[in-house]
Amino acid sequence: MSEFDPVPIVLNINGTQYRLFAEPRRLLSDVLRDDCGLTGTHVGCEHGVCGACTILFDGAPARACLTYAVQAQNHEITTIEAFGGDGTLSPVQQALHEEHGLQCGFCTPGIVVTMEAWLAENPDPAEAEIRDALSGNLCRCTGYHNIVAAIAKAAARRREGGPT
Amino acid sequence: MSETRIIGKALLRREDYRFVTGQGRYLDDVVVPGALHAHFVRSPHAHARIRSIDIEAARQAEGVVAIVGGRELAEWTAPLRMAPPIEGLRPVEFSTLPIDKVRFIGDPVLCIVARDRYLAEDAAELVNIEYDELDAVADLTHALAPGAPLVDDALPDNLISHQSFTAGDPGRSFAEAEIVVEAAFHQQRQTHAPIETRGCCAVWDAGRRHLTMHIGNQVPHPFRTQLSARMRLNEAQVTVICPDIGGAFGQKIALYREELTVAALARELRRPVRWREDRAENLIAASHAREDVARTRAAVDAKGRILALELEILEDFGAYCFYPANYLARVVAMILTGPYRVSNYAYDIKVALTNKCGNGPMRAPMAITSWVMEGTIEAIARKLSLDPVEVRRVNMLGPADLPYSMLTGLLLEDVTPREAFERALEAFDLAAFRARQAADRARGIYRGVGLCCVVESTTYGSAFYKAAGIPGSGHESGWVKIEPSGAVNASVGLMASGQGYETTFAQVVAEPLGVDPNEVRIHLGNTDTAPYGMGSRGARGGTAGGSVLLSAAQTLRDKVLTIAATLLGLNSSGELRLNAARVERRLGGEWTDAGLSLVDVARVAYLDPLRLPPGMEPGLEAHRAYDPPPMTFSNSMHVCEVRVEVETGKVTIERYLVVDDCGTVLNPLVVRGQQHGAIAMGVSGALLEEVVYDENGQNRSGSFADYLLATAVEIPPIEVISQHTPNKKTLTGSKGMSEGGVMGATGAVPSAVNDALAPFGVVAERQPLSPMYLRSLLRGRTDPRNRP
Repeated sequence: MSEFDPVPIVLNINGTQYRLFAEPRRLLSDVLRDDCGLTGTHVGCEHGVCGACTILFDGAPARACLTYAVQAQNHEITTIEAFGGDGTLSPVQQALHEEHGLQCGFCTPGIVVTMEAWLAENPDPAEAEIRDALSGNLCRCTGYHNIVAAIAKAAARRREGGPT
Repeated sequence: MSETRIIGKALLRREDYRFVTGQGRYLDDVVVPGALHAHFVRSPHAHARIRSIDIEAARQAEGVVAIVGGRELAEWTAPLRMAPPIEGLRPVEFSTLPIDKVRFIGDPVLCIVARDRYLAEDAAELVNIEYDELDAVADLTHALAPGAPLVDDALPDNLISHQSFTAGDPGRSFAEAEIVVEAAFHQQRQTHAPIETRGCCAVWDAGRRHLTMHIGNQVPHPFRTQLSARMRLNEAQVTVICPDIGGAFGQKIALYREELTVAALARELRRPVRWREDRAENLIAASHAREDVARTRAAVDAKGRILALELEILEDFGAYCFYPANYLARVVAMILTGPYRVSNYAYDIKVALTNKCGNGPMRAPMAITSWVMEGTIEAIARKLSLDPVEVRRVNMLGPADLPYSMLTGLLLEDVTPREAFERALEAFDLAAFRARQAADRARGIYRGVGLCCVVESTTYGSAFYKAAGIPGSGHESGWVKIEPSGAVNASVGLMASGQGYETTFAQVVAEPLGVDPNEVRIHLGNTDTAPYGMGSRGARGGTAGGSVLLSAAQTLRDKVLTIAATLLGLNSSGELRLNAARVERRLGGEWTDAGLSLVDVARVAYLDPLRLPPGMEPGLEAHRAYDPPPMTFSNSMHVCEVRVEVETGKVTIERYLVVDDCGTVLNPLVVRGQQHGAIAMGVSGALLEEVVYDENGQNRSGSFADYLLATAVEIPPIEVISQHTPNKKTLTGSKGMSEGGVMGATGAVPSAVNDALAPFGVVAERQPLSPMYLRSLLRGRTDPRNRP
């Protein structure tokens, strides 16, 4: 058995246990997409800059492209598929829709995951703080303005506990 | 009953749900069982002969299925011949992969196909290619010097295109003028950097002898034409299917060599083959854009009135021509004068090949235009010590001057440059700014205001292409069908990459048919379903696509109403209309329900055709094509306020305001998003982005840590004031937009920085306006009023 041979891996993703075999060198982003069929995690740069592949690692934003799948064992992984779905949307998803905070949509899952986690820690952010928090997610389409507006709106709704 | 206007409503996007929930389907999300993965081995040299290739060890590596190079591809595919009959443009031809010589760092030499991408990349480590390095041509000056190394050995030199033009008598004006002003503008090399890189998946059906190409491409049908020809297939043997596209910006138009290689391998191996480039490949080897030097000379009178203007452009086109090399710079020259009256004009454009990645159009290929024109106006103002606002006013076209025939033959009409200019200055309150600027300068705080008046060429009709000597058509095609259940399907030849076509075009189709736009489904990107159109590029989508779908929907509405009239026993459909999926009849000036629904008519049309008017074909389908006017123009006025930290060279944009006139708007929400996005790309380019090659042609910007894109921190909030002057010649009244923002920001940001730095007596004439560049200008300079 060489260091490249697949090893058994158990991953807890969005509350579901996945048992699979993967080479130790396989990236979490590839395993999520190719082995688990969770293709909402997008790969934009594979060097940790663009933020499209952001997932939650025990609740904290992390780059799936800079993580090996084997490292994710015994941790809780949350992907975009945990947010919304079945016709419902999370506060950030709903606000991005209303404020036209997305165009091609490729960077959007990373932004949703990053900002849902960030708003949980920062319920009442100033605009400059939103821009700073968003600066780890590259968007080539929107110019960010509508994303920032959407995050502010989602924050306000979360504070009110009102309709999402 | 009132008819609801649907065109122009700010409907939220239909596309969003799948995107925000991660259910978009981009290329890598398309599962093709048994697909092999391709990986390209690329040249590490800017210019070299391929001496030998040893693939024996790699071939033995785990999971490797095939390794092929230029010789194999030359047997399987036709070369690219770029030889349109354009005066001054040299024809070129190149093979699918290089055979003897590599021309830039990243030039693909071999393709390795393996069971997965990891194994293909492992095998690449085992390949041994020996090169004989050649001197590289890494900049324009070197490229055009006598005796320079040849990028393309088949050409006599590196001057791939040279065109000049004269109208009026500029020579005489310069001879007579007392004042001549010169200005220079260096635009850096950039790249599109869509967040989704390039990729494709080719499936060859050997039984049917049919190729299916899954690829995110802006122009599916022209792409199919290219792909089938170079695969030596006929067009009926190729289907192009575009999934959702994660950004394109002009990078996903051409048929690239990697894509053709993947298609050929799928056929040869009789196995599906897929490819996804990584970010380094995308930055180094996909397609670059821009990189030119523009110089102007203006003969002026004492008031700053332009008597004659000369433009010289030198453009660095890189190593390979996926487009005619004259195409980008020539548009700049044709539209340069924009909102200004210029009666004597000449241009000279030289385009050179270099040992860099090949160039192509990037959102606003003519991005430099407004910077050059506005920068020239500001140079005139500086030379004559006049207010640049007044110099603009002296030269600017007013409402009474329109329509205005530019000397290059383009007709400027239905634009409002003067109104936008004055409105923007008022909204910005320039006088208040000047007071604040003066007060802050005394405290050592340097603010500047930048102005940029943009006339944006938006939708290009076939007549423009013909006149400009560019091959191609400007038409677009679309169809609309009402199905027996009353459901509405529609399609157009454009492919979306974020523009919201599924929403805006549903609005266009819904209006004449009187249906809920949510019930209209727009089908894009499958060449077997969509009609042959010229695709999404420039700013044509809304105007060309919207107009053709409106036309098709109107044709279909007329058929529905003709059928309705027959069913209602009326002689004419003149007093009938569709509203809320019902047929309405006007009686005594009032619209009332005619007791017939759209579904009733559809059922008759499909299922009970003997009740149709005599001679009418069953079914409800309309297929139309539309060729826009030769050129539509939109206009905008950008005002940008910056603060420059002179100690560090850091530029902060404090305010950005634009007055924009793009005609009739299909969906203001979507249009606003395009305006923001375009301005952001312009700001990002003006401040940060730069593909850097060193003097040996080595690319030093192969990651997002080196090629900097603006984040939410650098892009300011953008205030947009909209004017809506419809174009009288397009069917919807829209003119097109989405590139003018790039042009405006490309001009407004340096204008603001130069205004801020005016006390130091320096002028920035290069982009990006990086801290290093601005410090290089400021070093040793002081503001005389703040001398310590």
